[in-house]
Amino acid sequence: MKKIVSLGLVMAMAASALAGCGGGGGGASADNTAAAPTTAAEAKDAGQAESADKEEETEAKNSDGGAVEITWWAFPTFAQDGDNPAGTYEQEIIDAFQAKNPDITVKLETIDFTSGPEKITAAIEAGTVCDVLFDAPGRIISYAQNGKLVALDDMFTDDFVKDVDNEALLNSCKSGDNYYMYPISTAAFCMAVSKNALEDAGAMDCINLEGDRTWTTEKFEEMMGKLYEKGYMGATVYCSGQGGDQGIRAFVTNLYDSSVTDNAVTTYTINDEGGVKAMTKIKEWVDAGWMLNGSAYNGGEDVDQFVAGNTAFTTLWSPGLASQRAETLAENGIEVIALPFPSEDGVPALEYLVNGFCVFDNGDDARAEASKKFIDFICNDEEWGPKNVVKTSVFPVRQSMGDLYPGDDEMSFYASLTKYYSPYYNTIPGFAEMRTYWFPMLQAVLNGDSEPQAALDDFVAKANQSIENAK
Amino acid sequence: MKPKKLNKIRMRETIVSYAFLAPALLFFIVFVLVPMGMGVVTSFFRYNMKGISFTGLSNYITMFQDEVWQKSLVNTLLLVVGSVPLTVLFSLFVAALTYEKNPVARSFFRCVFFLPVVTGTVAVTVVWKWIYDPLNGILNWILKSANLIERNIMWTGDKKYALWAILIILITTSVGQPIILYIASLGNVPKDYVEAAQVDGANDLQVFWKIKWPSLLPTTLYIVVITTINSFQCFSLIQLLTSGGPNYRTTTIMYYLYETAFKRFEYGYANAMGVILALIIGAISFIQFKALGSDVEY
Amino acid sequence: MKKKTKPIDMIGMLFLLVLSIIFIFPFYWILTGAFKSQKVTVKLPPEWWPLEPTMDNFQKLFQNPAMQWLYNSVFIAGITLLIVCLTAAMAGYVLAKKRFYGDKLLFSIFVFAMALPKQVILVPLMKLVSFMGIHDTSWAIILPLCGWPFGIFLMKQFSENVPTELLEAAKIDGSGEVLTFANIVLPIVKPGIGALAIFTFINTWNDYFMQLVMLNSRTRLTISLGVATLQQEFSTNYGVIMAGAALAAVPIVTVFLLFQNYFTQGITMGAVKG
Repeated sequence: MKKIVSLGLVMAMAASALAGCGGGGGGASADNTAAAPTTAAEAKDAGQAESADKEEETEAKNSDGGAVEITWWAFPTFAQDGDNPAGTYEQEIIDAFQAKNPDITVKLETIDFTSGPEKITAAIEAGTVCDVLFDAPGRIISYAQNGKLVALDDMFTDDFVKDVDNEALLNSCKSGDNYYMYPISTAAFCMAVSKNALEDAGAMDCINLEGDRTWTTEKFEEMMGKLYEKGYMGATVYCSGQGGDQGIRAFVTNLYDSSVTDNAVTTYTINDEGGVKAMTKIKEWVDAGWMLNGSAYNGGEDVDQFVAGNTAFTTLWSPGLASQRAETLAENGIEVIALPFPSEDGVPALEYLVNGFCVFDNGDDARAEASKKFIDFICNDEEWGPKNVVKTSVFPVRQSMGDLYPGDDEMSFYASLTKYYSPYYNTIPGFAEMRTYWFPMLQAVLNGDSEPQAALDDFVAKANQSIENAK
Repeated sequence: MKPKKLNKIRMRETIVSYAFLAPALLFFIVFVLVPMGMGVVTSFFRYNMKGISFTGLSNYITMFQDEVWQKSLVNTLLLVVGSVPLTVLFSLFVAALTYEKNPVARSFFRCVFFLPVVTGTVAVTVVWKWIYDPLNGILNWILKSANLIERNIMWTGDKKYALWAILIILITTSVGQPIILYIASLGNVPKDYVEAAQVDGANDLQVFWKIKWPSLLPTTLYIVVITTINSFQCFSLIQLLTSGGPNYRTTTIMYYLYETAFKRFEYGYANAMGVILALIIGAISFIQFKALGSDVEY
Repeated sequence: MKKKTKPIDMIGMLFLLVLSIIFIFPFYWILTGAFKSQKVTVKLPPEWWPLEPTMDNFQKLFQNPAMQWLYNSVFIAGITLLIVCLTAAMAGYVLAKKRFYGDKLLFSIFVFAMALPKQVILVPLMKLVSFMGIHDTSWAIILPLCGWPFGIFLMKQFSENVPTELLEAAKIDGSGEVLTFANIVLPIVKPGIGALAIFTFINTWNDYFMQLVMLNSRTRLTISLGVATLQQEFSTNYGVIMAGAALAAVPIVTVFLLFQNYFTQGITMGAVKG
């Protein structure tokens, strides 16, 4: 008899758990869809109802003093002092912010570039995502296009827009007519060569160290020939893994004046004559042993090989990488020269990174406002703003901050590349899907599975389809 | 016994059984079955970051026409066919060979073959990545030093070798558990039966097949089914080593599923792939149960 | 009972010894790599032994709450191990030895659940976990993993070996169900429980994806998750990864050694039969 009772009890428990779960799941998604279009006041109510189950702590604080707790997910974009563990510097910012805003508590959680994006994706769906995220437009704008972010239009004051004074950059923060990412710093992606290898191969005359260091594809080809004769491997045409794909894309498009998209960023055009010629050339270089088929390398590993002295140049470089790898380079005794990508006419069109913040729509107006306040502090505080920019190792988006790296020749070279910014396509709908087709296209060409024209046509067809899919 | 009486016994057994099952079922229903149901249901929806809408079977139709999915199915099957028989036979071989030898050798090999499991996939793969590296990997270095190759080989990026490179790591990380299980269940073989057979003049092979094999069957079934599931779900190796390349030659269904869900945010489509994968595995397991099942004891 | 070693066995042993190299090498390389500088780790010709051993990697690791991460990992894997061993032993026994309504169906559902990729249930599971208010706690990992049915399957297979006559004899002696399970079944399936304990511990330890999505706070991370946060974009510090893996291997090896005696002794059937 006892057993029957216990059996019944278990069944009842299971049933209630079942019902509870269904309710929870349904409730959460209903909230999400409901909260998005409603006005601030309604959203606040819905948010409070929701956070009542989830975060009693916050709720309690909310009711008695208007205190808010927000969560910040930080990729390791800020450099740490010395060997300090991840998040140390971020915590310093938070402490400074909380000293000035005692009613707001910021909770820091560090994520990494390898698996962080997946974590965010899953958390968005499950409704457990952070309030503030520090990232780049590629991902942020795709969250915005899916209606997961709070618009930050009120942060883009006339004063700020005037100060930035760069339409391409401002557009990279937009989805539709609204701003969703608040930018703090920016820099161009470029390439880098090893001075040691070039000097040894007698190829220093191939590169240009004057002015903006621009150079032509012809000179670049000559350099690779000389390196090869002296037994150096040029670079890997890395095409595995996830990150760093922009480097190889810029390399391909610059060689013979192609472009990833049209100027209005509405359709992909990299299968034009220049693109096909570039891919054909790259395949020839790989077959000749001038460059390495990089089907086994991801971006980070390409840089690893470069700083270890196994390759003579890399197509993935930025001021941030330069400072990150400075120690290893010094250890290996390698001197690096950063250069823009070579192009037929010697005028490069460069891709660039923008670091910025976004606010997730968690259905709580108070948290959204607190998040904006926090972002404003990070970017615009008199003391912390410039300091934070320097910690990203790149340049402020605000012109008024001036030269933050006085007397640093390398940094002024990187700064000079700003004028070669090309149209920013990372905000195109379906960008994330397009990225999954890029490396397989390169692998297909390098491994002789398809001809450059066919591979690029196929890539463009799929990429254009991804724009449609995302609509 | 009369049928009625039998029914009564069975009813009683049912109650007792569910009482024993209750704790496990509680966890299973709440944390696996319910989320599983929701996952399966969403496979009939266009479900992405934007929202969710019912589309019936369209995810499934898209899937069967999807070239990448077809390629990944072939790759997955190759991995399964390559790894399952080898893993099972090799672990049986190791267990049988070392079981009756001195305990030191037995412990030594059991530990050795379990090491890759202990170390964890991520760390093991980091080392293998360096072993396979086309520029400064140790495998190319060894082969070159021995004058076996002239030019470095790009093991994980070359269409000829990539899947094999994965297969080797997959096998080294999968034989640990089966070996332990076989050694554990060889301990279950009744010693007096073995001795009686030996007295009767049976040779080692006869003893193995007639006496030991039947009592190893349940373990073998478990090992075959679990190894099949693990090989079908091979994922983190691929993610860490090749990201599915070159040109989709190492993309498995699991990797493609992951990419679809977490890179392209098409959850409904990804879940449909998961359901089909589970059905394929389920069908193969069914055959394995029929072939190796030991229902005789009932 | 000493047996002559036959030549064929010798060849087999030799073959295994050679194969051992590729099984030992990654582990060896990680242990020694933990004491090497980044540069030396990937040097050619390889440095087989750290000539200039350094503690830098561990220093970097311990600037983070690495011991807390290790403790979290041990706690999660340990509790899961206890729950799974107990529930799976009970469930496996009845699935193998009793005929009841729904037994075949239930077992089929278990197999299907194992066959379904975890990614499919992940998002619903996260919703459930945050609804229960255990998101970002160790229980968010422990409870779902306790539902994973592979332990039940394993224990069912081990329970198949329990002689039916023994169970019937016990019944005739008037032994209750619980006593029969405790006195007859458990001793026989002991090796299985030993193996299950080790597998559960390791599977839980290595279930990176689940940990990734369920845990956020820095002090609540597990060791594998924590080590991953030490990487920068386009830069992996192999030395620290190896130090982390070496540190993480210690508890696993301990558990392995603890439980391996458990099933090495195997089972003396004669004693049970008596």
